Amino acid sequence: MNSHPYLRAYLAGVFVPSLVLPVILAGFVVLRLLLEAPFPIERFLVFPLALVPTLFGLWNMLYLWSSPRFQQPIGLHGAVLPLIGAPIGALVASCLGILEFGAKGVTYFQAVNVPYALLPVFILVAIGGYYLVWKYIVGSLNRVLGIA
Amino acid sequence: MNENNEDRMKKLLQQALPPVEEEPAPGRSLWPAVFRRLDAKPAPPPLRIEGWFDWALLAALVAFVAYLPESIPVFLYYL
Repeated sequence: MNSHPYLRAYLAGVFVPSLVLPVILAGFVVLRLLLEAPFPIERFLVFPLALVPTLFGLWNMLYLWSSPRFQQPIGLHGAVLPLIGAPIGALVASCLGILEFGAKGVTYFQAVNVPYALLPVFILVAIGGYYLVWKYIVGSLNRVLGIA
Repeated sequence: MNENNEDRMKKLLQQALPPVEEEPAPGRSLWPAVFRRLDAKPAPPPLRIEGWFDWALLAALVAFVAYLPESIPVFLYYL
């Protein structure tokens, strides 16, 4: 059980996105195929399907490497990830046309308007959510897999 | 002529390749040992939210999403 710790860290990291992805895919099928939503929401899937699991896995590998050196709690380590993932996600969304920057705020999916004043709150909520997810779910998986 | 060639080829192959020895099957079932090893490993503690800060944070997140349900697809996008 002591072999390949970084592989196990990667697998523990991708666990949470893998749980959420079927929910997103179900929403995609309902909106696009059943309700025939006019917006091309398949573009929505690129970031959460392709990049988020990889980010989670690599971030947990980084935690495994850095925790003996810096002794940082895993919750705080995970809470930093939105500060890296959010700009990447926004860039991907902007390139794919699902995020538009306006004068007063941003518009996601041509439907959800977020004023610029509210963006820091969104980021704080994401940081809080990631803190809990990493502290309780990824940390627990790391203990189960013998790498914490 | 063909049969002779086949026989010769068969003999050459048998000489070139060593006979495969069958590994003896274990004399006992290995499953009890596997179960003993699994039972010997302590079970991880159950998932439980600890401390007032984490509970307050969870409540704040739920309240935010309930207050702004249109934010759910944005958070799902970023996971």
